Amino acid sequence: MKKRRTVIASGIALIVGLVALEAQSQSQNPKTHKIGAILAMSGGASWYGTVMSQGIQQAVAEINARGGVNGMPLEAVIEDHKSGNAQEAVSAMNRLMSIHGVKMVMTSFTAPTQAIAPLADQNKVFLINGGGVSNSLVGVSKYIVHNRSLAADLGRGAALQAKALGAKKIAAIQWKNDAGDSIVKVVHPAWEKSGGSIAAVEAVPQGISNMDTQIAKIKASNPDAIMLWMFNPEVGLALKRIREFGMKQPVIGVEYTGNDAKVAGTHGEGYYFLNDYFQATADYPWSMSFAKGYEERYKAKPEFYAANYYEGVYVLAELIKRVAAKGGTVDGDTMRAALQANPKFDSVYGGQMNFQENGVASKKVGLFQVKDGQNQFIKYIDLN
Amino acid sequence: MDYLFHILVSVALFSILATSFNLLIGYSGLFALSHAAFFGVGAYATAILTTQLGLVFPIPLLIGMIITALVGMAIALPALRIGGDYLVIVSLALQMIVAAIMLNWTALTGGTDGIRGIPRVVIAGWELNNAPRFLPLAVFCAAFCFWISWKIGNSPFGRALKAMRENESAVLSVGKNVVAMKLSVFALAAALASVAGSLYAHYVTFVSAEGFTLDLTVYVLAMVILGGTGNLWGSLLGAAILTILPELLKFLALSPDVADKIRQMLYGIILILILRIRPQGLIPETSNLNLTRDPGYRPDVGALVHASRLEGTGLEKRFGGIVAVSGVDISIEPGRITGLIGPNGAGKTTAFNLLTGFLKPSAGEVRYRDRPLTGLKPHEIVRLGIARSFQDLRLFTRLSVIENVMVAMPRQSGDSLFQVFFNPWKVRREEREHLAKALAILSFVQLEHRASDIASDLSYAEEKLLVVARLMATEAEVLLFDEPLSGLSPDTLEQVFPIFRKLAGSGRTIAIIEHNLDVIRSLCDSAIFLDEGKKFAHDRPEVLMNDPALATRYFK
Amino acid sequence: MDLLAQLLVNGLVNGSHYALLGLSFGLIFGPTRITHFAHGPLATLAAYVGWWAAQRGVPLELALLAGIGSGALIGILCYQYLYEPFERSGSPALVILIGSLGLYIVVENFIGAVFGTDTKVLPNPPSQVFLIGPVVITQVQAMQVFALISSAIALGLFLGKTRFGRAVLAMNDNIEMARVVGIDTDRIALLVFALGSAIAACAALLILMRDGASSHMGFNLVFMGFVAVVVGGIGSLRGAIAGGYALGLVESLGMWKIPSEWQSSIAFVVLFLVLLFRPQGLFAGRQ
Repeated sequence: MKKRRTVIASGIALIVGLVALEAQSQSQNPKTHKIGAILAMSGGASWYGTVMSQGIQQAVAEINARGGVNGMPLEAVIEDHKSGNAQEAVSAMNRLMSIHGVKMVMTSFTAPTQAIAPLADQNKVFLINGGGVSNSLVGVSKYIVHNRSLAADLGRGAALQAKALGAKKIAAIQWKNDAGDSIVKVVHPAWEKSGGSIAAVEAVPQGISNMDTQIAKIKASNPDAIMLWMFNPEVGLALKRIREFGMKQPVIGVEYTGNDAKVAGTHGEGYYFLNDYFQATADYPWSMSFAKGYEERYKAKPEFYAANYYEGVYVLAELIKRVAAKGGTVDGDTMRAALQANPKFDSVYGGQMNFQENGVASKKVGLFQVKDGQNQFIKYIDLN
Repeated sequence: MDYLFHILVSVALFSILATSFNLLIGYSGLFALSHAAFFGVGAYATAILTTQLGLVFPIPLLIGMIITALVGMAIALPALRIGGDYLVIVSLALQMIVAAIMLNWTALTGGTDGIRGIPRVVIAGWELNNAPRFLPLAVFCAAFCFWISWKIGNSPFGRALKAMRENESAVLSVGKNVVAMKLSVFALAAALASVAGSLYAHYVTFVSAEGFTLDLTVYVLAMVILGGTGNLWGSLLGAAILTILPELLKFLALSPDVADKIRQMLYGIILILILRIRPQGLIPETSNLNLTRDPGYRPDVGALVHASRLEGTGLEKRFGGIVAVSGVDISIEPGRITGLIGPNGAGKTTAFNLLTGFLKPSAGEVRYRDRPLTGLKPHEIVRLGIARSFQDLRLFTRLSVIENVMVAMPRQSGDSLFQVFFNPWKVRREEREHLAKALAILSFVQLEHRASDIASDLSYAEEKLLVVARLMATEAEVLLFDEPLSGLSPDTLEQVFPIFRKLAGSGRTIAIIEHNLDVIRSLCDSAIFLDEGKKFAHDRPEVLMNDPALATRYFK
Repeated sequence: MDLLAQLLVNGLVNGSHYALLGLSFGLIFGPTRITHFAHGPLATLAAYVGWWAAQRGVPLELALLAGIGSGALIGILCYQYLYEPFERSGSPALVILIGSLGLYIVVENFIGAVFGTDTKVLPNPPSQVFLIGPVVITQVQAMQVFALISSAIALGLFLGKTRFGRAVLAMNDNIEMARVVGIDTDRIALLVFALGSAIAACAALLILMRDGASSHMGFNLVFMGFVAVVVGGIGSLRGAIAGGYALGLVESLGMWKIPSEWQSSIAFVVLFLVLLFRPQGLFAGRQ
């Protein structure tokens, strides 16, 4: 039949095309250290991909300007998981491994990380996560480390601040996903055990634009403080709504990006938040040079997500150097061993971060408050 | 190289989704946007049954198929009442509800964390833990699902699905049980989609609710439409193209900030371009009735039958406050042609609807062969031997002429999917017999030379003849024609009259609604005069036409 | 009681927004039967034009007008260069739907690539907050209600009292018949695309003022509009408005006693029940 021939012919043409292109790219460029990255480069959460990839590219450019690692330049290969699609992440991981032969991947978001973890284990690919923050990601692969505080830990810090402000009854708005749930699971029972009460817990899906119902119910529950267990850009939106609804209670959260600040506008005033402490200060020259470099390249203030992936590249570069120094080839096992040999790394946040047994870097967590439109650092929070 | 195998695995899984979705949308015209939910239920079923109950492939896959089939039938239930654009919302609702359950019923589904660590498939000691090893299984399942979809689509059942898509009331009028058809096709499409879901779970070893959203359904929809609805090879092609195209675009080197967005833009543009070049999809729908299977002989379709009288007594139909028909006694005798005449709005078509179960009488009774027909559904009444045609034809326009006739034939074993799969030799034999009979019927109405043409290509007169042929195909003894000859030229009428006379002469019970008084005079042995929902007379045409009171009513 | 009153007002305000979207989508879908997926991203693009103008220092009112005007223009171009060629070649409705999907993908990614992926806010959005008893309503929310009411009235007058308006209604009712009586259905299609896109641009600009605009917001704009139209009854503009309010109220009041994580599915369950008992939608439109 004519149409069957068309089908088969087209199918063969497509496959031949793929093979040809794949073969071609493999023969190019074995002369760089390739770092893969799977980020949200398109779709509803593409803001994250933008700032993360910008951090990566800046680090790669800086390191290469100084001669690369052991004389060989770094090359970042950035793939797209379309704002959290597991199937896309698996395709991207396959591309990175087959076509680019990467041995280290910077990952982001929960579902993509969960999906690529088995592939990383099987193929000995080192993973570093600077974005996704759920407990379920800890130890999801034997080769994964995280240079971002767990959301649950940030949440605990936020609860401490609520207590410090004298609140007895809290109400919370959470992202209805693993990140939000992981905070609620850890913080709420602890709050109640310590004698506090929870007036209301409202959930919103990530990406929602209409939170009016949830905010109205929070208002009606009359809490002493309002907790925001959510991330960009819903934080800014929630803040704005909360103040527009006339609620004057303190609001405490776990995130505040520049994007959130834009959305919240003047309503962000007085908001407390816990965060991996990123602030460009004169005390830490690296943070200053990073911020300056970022602003020059991208005409915007750096976000801490960018900082995480920026410093993540430096961690990877350092690990590559260590492995080479021992005369080994780079793969998940050797990178992990190199990390465990000395888990302390310089952090662009200032000082050093220490990768713990479970792979999560303990970083300084800071309490900030928005004053006069600026994020003002108040103090470090010790979560132990 | 693993990358290439991974792409092929994706193509295999998506081809299962695309072909099953095509059965729903392309073949049956059931626009249900819940396919991602079926995929997800299959994936979660496997995830839960393997991680919590330790069941091993292929048991979770089979159980998942059953569960998903039930979910599919749950959507079919509202689809029985509503169709078209409204089914979209209902299926969307189901999609949302399933997604919400996946996200919130933490004890069962792991909630927002999803389920990870789904065990790999192990076949004969081989663990299928990477793309090259998984591919043979994926291709095997894809081929098997394709084969099943193919058999469904090309069987008499599939023909009836397409007819249902074209015109639901017409397919009822030829005796098909639309309810059973819809339930079956939903169950099957859902079960097939769940196969893809189960394979996905074993392949990625992780499932979470975000992977089964409307976005996925729309992606599969694009594959079906690009490939060509109503054509399963097209769905394969569509799945392949829309899976491979984005990967090919990744080889385009662009600045990383905008690379992926530009690639998506190119993808969208290419999609539009392909559709512009091939607006029917890449491979158009074709009729798979091969006339070279013509057995050669022609059974006698004008043979004598012993029909009986169709009687309606005291028929009444109210719509709210409007009385369409009241106190009407109709008696239609076998072996002759009874006319039903009256001015517009007299209630003639309503009378037909009441006699054939398309409307339930508010009062009164219909009897045939001493058996009351009230309460029976239209397709049941057709099976008892009473069939009607429609004033507005309602032909199955995208099917061929011969298919229009064949789909109307009764008692086809091929209407039962059980027979299609488990007794294919009988189905094939019957198809040949039915083909012979259908060609004989077409020959009877002088349309045989148009057998393989598409019904929409027919001239007006030919369409009218096809209506007669389709009605004859039902093998009903009682044939009720609604304006079968309107708009035909006098020459054509002279050619068509003998057909009706032969039908009556063969012992059938025939009634026709007509406005053309010459036709009534030439064709009808007697006529019933209706006006304002009441019967005024039942007599020979000449008598009626010479009655001045009736004339006034008729021409008022 | 205070909560209930607030939820009611929220429901009406958001209902106005959804009704505006339903009106804009229904105005296009009814007469032309084109499932204009790209409706959402195109309205987003119009909002971005308004934002861009305001960023350049154009006074707010003019920037908004620029946004609405560009919305109308974009709608016209879309019909002229995408849908009309498809229709001329006799493409089936499903093919046009996927063509629209293609445009959706192109426009959404275009916006992200050209304007960036961060949320855009106006330099000085209206920010007053009004208190009516215990109920809070912001200035922009009041504008949303006002926009719906004025659009509905203006549209009602246009459709009922002008020649073009009546042609739109005729085409909405029965496109074949409209052609038979000599209505230039292509010209009317351009008209409804212009009007529908302008109204959607208005809704998108209001969201820009209320929450900020992002490249992905097109999805909600077209999805809610579509649902409002189907629930309200396809072919009935009054139905589209009613459908929008039904959506807004169910979303809001439906959550009164039910945990809010079920928000999206509850709205759909209720709408599903409505359709079960009234399959033709709230206002039986064209079948």
